[in-house]
Amino acid sequence: MGALFGGRFWALALKELRQIGRDRRLTISLIVPPTLQILLFGFALDSSVKDLRLAIVDESRTAESRELISVLTQNPTFRLAGAYATSDALGEALGRGRLDVGVVVPYDFARLRARGRPATVQVLLNASNANTAQIAQGYVEGAVAFLNRDLHRSRAAPVELRPAFLYNPGLVNAWFIVTGVFGTLIILNGSLVSAATMIREKERGTVEQLLMTPASALEVVTAKLVPLFVLLMAMVGLVLVVGRLVFDVPFRGSPALVLAACACCVLTGIGLGTFISTFARSANQTQLISFFVNPPLAMLSGGLTPIEAMPKWVQPLTLLNPIAHFTAIARAVLVKGAGLDVVYPNLLALVALASLFVGVSAWRFRRQLS
Amino acid sequence: MRRIAAQARKELTQLLRDRLGLALALVLPVALTALMGTSVSLTVTDIPMVIQDLDQTPLSRRYADAFRTSLTFRVVTLPPATSPERMLNRGRARAALVIPEHFERDLRRGRPAEAQLLVDATDSNTAQLTRGNAAQISRAFAQQVTGSRATPAIQTATRLWFNPGREPRKFYGPGFLVLTLSIFPTVLSALAMSREGEQKTILQVYVSSISAHEFLLGKILAGMVIGLTQCLLAVGLMLTLFGLRFAGDPTPFVAASALFVFCVVSFGSLVGAAIPNQAAAVQAVGLGGFLLAFLLSGLIFPIENIPAALRWISSFVQARYYVLVVRDAFLQGGGWAATWWAVLAIGAIGLAYYTLAWRSLRRMQVKA
Repeated sequence: MGALFGGRFWALALKELRQIGRDRRLTISLIVPPTLQILLFGFALDSSVKDLRLAIVDESRTAESRELISVLTQNPTFRLAGAYATSDALGEALGRGRLDVGVVVPYDFARLRARGRPATVQVLLNASNANTAQIAQGYVEGAVAFLNRDLHRSRAAPVELRPAFLYNPGLVNAWFIVTGVFGTLIILNGSLVSAATMIREKERGTVEQLLMTPASALEVVTAKLVPLFVLLMAMVGLVLVVGRLVFDVPFRGSPALVLAACACCVLTGIGLGTFISTFARSANQTQLISFFVNPPLAMLSGGLTPIEAMPKWVQPLTLLNPIAHFTAIARAVLVKGAGLDVVYPNLLALVALASLFVGVSAWRFRRQLS
Repeated sequence: MRRIAAQARKELTQLLRDRLGLALALVLPVALTALMGTSVSLTVTDIPMVIQDLDQTPLSRRYADAFRTSLTFRVVTLPPATSPERMLNRGRARAALVIPEHFERDLRRGRPAEAQLLVDATDSNTAQLTRGNAAQISRAFAQQVTGSRATPAIQTATRLWFNPGREPRKFYGPGFLVLTLSIFPTVLSALAMSREGEQKTILQVYVSSISAHEFLLGKILAGMVIGLTQCLLAVGLMLTLFGLRFAGDPTPFVAASALFVFCVVSFGSLVGAAIPNQAAAVQAVGLGGFLLAFLLSGLIFPIENIPAALRWISSFVQARYYVLVVRDAFLQGGGWAATWWAVLAIGAIGLAYYTLAWRSLRRMQVKA
């Protein structure tokens, strides 16, 4: 180890640092895209269901029916988007995508209620989006149950469920997205930048010059990796600061643990980029190959959509995805304040994946050098 | 016209000879649409849940069983001497139901019995679904226990239109069709155009008798052939793997697809002409084509949730309109009446991109 980090290594590492420093595009690509991406993702991706357009057909036109409607629209989930004369007109508007929910109150609504007989209200839901439909249905039924309870106060004793939201009581969706996109950003930008620096020597034929130096292949590889690692960790710091300042993501757990996970993730990204660059002949090929690798890695990571919602056969595959492990750690430590005793399986998996990627890519790179 | 066709044929031949290019053109789009369309979903089933029953009475056990038999929850046993919070913290469970003492006594006496539901809200959407489902189960249970005496005064008859099984894949499948068509034809045409600039073959084009419009149209025609092939393959997937059918008049979809492919191919050519470096052009398309389509088109999350300061950008994103048309064609079936304006918007954006591409193509000559 002492021999490895001797004078030759530092000389090479310095050369790499200078080379990266002079490449303005590379420096910019480490600052601008990650910041933009975290801001865009955090602001633009919001799964919360609110302001759904609700329309009514009130055939009853009584105080009772108006009470029902006001109970439904008191909720921020729905916004009254109009009233229709007939349920056919309502159905047509629903079909044209102008509405999300339609409620039809029958003409005998008040009369049935006065006689103590059950009245049925028809609810039409645009269910093309399964998630929205499920949440909307829950709200409509909840609102009606609330109204029923008021009417039945004397008779029935229902079970009251008191929900409490832990860790994120305000249901801030950005916390989920920002912690989810974080890993994707590290892997994506890490692999792109390292592939670009690795392929450059190959493209310009300067590999020959590297071989002429007295440095061993191992020294060449490490000298290439270390400066990249330092730069990418700086990028990680930048993203963390943006997440904290702009989105107020909590930092409940140990920062050292988060940084350790970030370091592993950065190494995996570098390994992935180097690996891709050993297969490609030119810079644009590395870009194209990463098109094959990155979107599935990002989408199947649980970063944006829960892993539990994926098909059963896909779920085990996410165990091989470094982003999935990183996301699990980031969420557990940052948002839930978990410690090493909770996240150690994910951290171990991340360490294993990082050493695998770095090891294989360094081996391939060395083989190409000699 | 003959020159346009010749240019298009040359482009296609060039693509067919490139193995990586061909994989990008045909294999990857289908594979990605299939994989992502089926995998991405927000509706979690099998949410792991622990139940702490402090009452231990027949009625409290019946209440717990109501959760056990539901499809949404998977009840995990609570190890002895472990608090439910600890299970949530360790990530072993996403929700915990605590049934207090005297649950049965309260119910029998006609007093409201309270139960507590702790939800891990790290994922706010799943937390909301969890609450909704648990409340539904509780209501059903309460009705069962007290039911013989009182039917609720107001009942709801809910009808789910367009996707009665609430299958997420029917919603996300068409979305990923749009995403795929936003990425691959764009990347391929950007590559084809920037290659001319990078390898200086654009000079050969300038000395030939072909005009800028003919050259560009030839490139776009070739791109459209590829794009429409991808579209056809993706539609095949929709009809088989995703179990969708055309819900109504498919002609708006056909028109919108042709216009959309024209639009993205023009956008790709514009990027390629503006950036005569293949690697940089692909990166620009990745940022412009993929990211904008992914974030600002309502593909996964509704556009209405985007803050107004960013939302206006989505008016210029062609994918946003195409998502609307595709979902309408496969799910709602509103036809021309519902989507004519979206089809027009795609055409207008396409025309704008074509004009810009033509202008930067003419500027390429000066640079080369």
